[in-house]
Amino acid sequence: MTKKGKEILYRRVFVWSWALRVFHWSFALSCAVLLLTGIYIHYPPITTKWAEFKPQYLMATLRYYHFAAAYVFMAAVAVRLYLLFFGNRYERFTDFLPINRRNLRSLWQSLKFYLYLTDDHEWRMGHTVLAGTIYFLLFLAAIVMSLTGLYMLYPDVSWISKMGVALFGSVQMARFIHYILHWCFIFFVIVHLYIAIWNDFKAPEAIISGAFSGSKFMPADVKED
Amino acid sequence: MSRIPSLRIGGLSRRDFLKICTIATATMGLPVEMVEKVAAAVKSSERPPVIWLHFMECTGCTESLLRSSHPPLARLILELISLEYHETLMAGAGAQAEEALKAALKKYEGRYICVVEGGISTKDGGIYCQIGGRTALEIMREVGEKAGAVIAIGTCASFGGVQAAAPNPTGAVGVSQVIHRPVINIPGCPPNPYNFLSTVLYILTFGHPPELDELSRPKFAYGRRIHDHCERRPHFDEGRFVESFGDPAHQKGYCLYKVGCKGPVTYSNCSVVRFCDVGAWPVGSGHPCMGCTEPNFWDRMSPFYEHLPKIYIPAGGGIRAEAEKVGKVAVGAAAAVVAAHAAAGVIKKAVKSVSGQKSSEE
Ligand code: HEM
Ligand code: HEM
Ligand code: SF4
Ligand code: SF4
Repeated sequence: MTKKGKEILYRRVFVWSWALRVFHWSFALSCAVLLLTGIYIHYPPITTKWAEFKPQYLMATLRYYHFAAAYVFMAAVAVRLYLLFFGNRYERFTDFLPINRRNLRSLWQSLKFYLYLTDDHEWRMGHTVLAGTIYFLLFLAAIVMSLTGLYMLYPDVSWISKMGVALFGSVQMARFIHYILHWCFIFFVIVHLYIAIWNDFKAPEAIISGAFSGSKFMPADVKED
Repeated sequence: MSRIPSLRIGGLSRRDFLKICTIATATMGLPVEMVEKVAAAVKSSERPPVIWLHFMECTGCTESLLRSSHPPLARLILELISLEYHETLMAGAGAQAEEALKAALKKYEGRYICVVEGGISTKDGGIYCQIGGRTALEIMREVGEKAGAVIAIGTCASFGGVQAAAPNPTGAVGVSQVIHRPVINIPGCPPNPYNFLSTVLYILTFGHPPELDELSRPKFAYGRRIHDHCERRPHFDEGRFVESFGDPAHQKGYCLYKVGCKGPVTYSNCSVVRFCDVGAWPVGSGHPCMGCTEPNFWDRMSPFYEHLPKIYIPAGGGIRAEAEKVGKVAVGAAAAVVAAHAAAGVIKKAVKSVSGQKSSEE
């Protein structure tokens, strides 16, 4: 562990491929746009007087941004799904889902760490399993967002309407699910930003800059298990 | 057929006749050149025998079809088909009516069109709806299996309707759930009579049913979204909304989105074909669309003056929490937990730096 007065050597390890980083930032930006415009679509505030005063196609414009961001979002999700199976070691689902002993141990370890029950930081090159599981659930939510969104947007396209009726029954149900799931994304963004900053304080891995550069820092003498 | 004289068709003037054929042709999405063909089909084709069944319903569909505000339409429909059995319209009753049904089934087996109005009870063997001692389920299966075509008229027959709304005490379902054959759904509460007329005319003209969507509704009538053909749409795009009924925005005819309009999720031609031959339709008159042509509309489209349905999820101790509010609570809790977590971290660090002085090694 880091202690005052003692020098520790760190090595730089490369973890996130450029594809994953492109995914992360296009996903993050499109999510931000989708959330802001989506909330307006759900409950447009009283802008009637303003819109009478100066025509500006407010709803039409914000819907347009929503749909434009939706395409970036869906492309990003597609890239991530590909990487889940064919990415580098740390990007595959086998590295961060609680599906083997090593990963279950990591899950327990991170829970203790976040509950301040231990100070032993877990040195993992990739995601911790706790984080990884949450990301995975978010990807599933992202797929449902895309399918419900597509069904609302293109109900006339044959395969989309088949999919929509089979999965959601009616457009109104798709709209309901789309709305309820948007809370998951707000929830995720709050927790995710907090956790990223918190970890940046707790351990000198430089994970935030890692989200840009792709590399993290690990104590030179620590080996990943 | 000679039953329809060339000049006065079923008591209709030729002018009324052509007018209705033109509207019906336009409803089908066919070009004006087809009017002649449709009119010819009406005159020449054998009048198809129709057996009209009533189950759990309010008879509103029949009433709206017969609307005396525009009798020519109803008259044409009644001339177009040969109604062999229809509990509301036929003269006979009781055993006599049952005989008529039996005779018609025998005489027109495999050829008649079975039109169904109303939902069908399936719970406890379907005992909640019986006619002449037989359950609706039994009658539907018998009449449905022997028909040439089955048309479900109205939302009740199409998707179960009001009696299928939660908690659905009688286990009501739509026709397509109880018979194993294709059904043409003409939903609506009530459906526009033109959608029924056009469907029948389509079958007479082309000899096969029209193209159907995923919910078995004719695409010509239910292929478009109310919202995409609404005269208030420019106000939606501009962000000019009615906030409450009777406010200045309502008086100016702005968009009804915020008072629960279901136009964005409802498929029907109401805004184009309109009702009662006077060019009226709900949104045009200042009332939001209620989504009456969609499955489960009583449950999923209500509250009618709100944007999204209130779906209840169990949340501990039998208390029902609105699913929508759970989201708000979860996000509030996340913010609170994040703050508490950060505070706990700071406190722990402070405590540790004090106690850490004493036991310097871990
Ligand atoms: C300024 C804002 C953000 C920063 C600094 C940031 C930082 C990070 C970091 C450091 C990681 C890697 C964490 C680990 O190793 O477990 C990460 C992963 C991730 N972030 Fe963010 N993030 C930001 C915004 C967002 C937003 C808005 C979203 C979407 C709602 C998002 C979604 C994700 C996802 C899905 C992953 C998992 C990456 C993967 O394996 O696919 N991030 N982020
Ligand atoms: C993180 C991702 C997303 C979020 C947070 C989000 C959020 C929202 C919200 C809150 C609404 C308003 C729902 C309502 O109450 O009516 C909405 C509407 C909608 N969204 Fe999304 N959305 C996301 C992704 C997508 C995607 C990927 C698509 C499309 C392909 C999409 C298409 C739509 C459509 C078509 C509407 C309906 C617009 C309307 O009724 O005018 N969304 N979205
Ligand atoms: S009134 Fe209803 S259907 Fe018309 S534009 Fe507004 S939301 Fe859409
Ligand atoms: S406008 Fe909507 S509620 Fe009214 S009849 Fe048409 S589909 Fe039904």
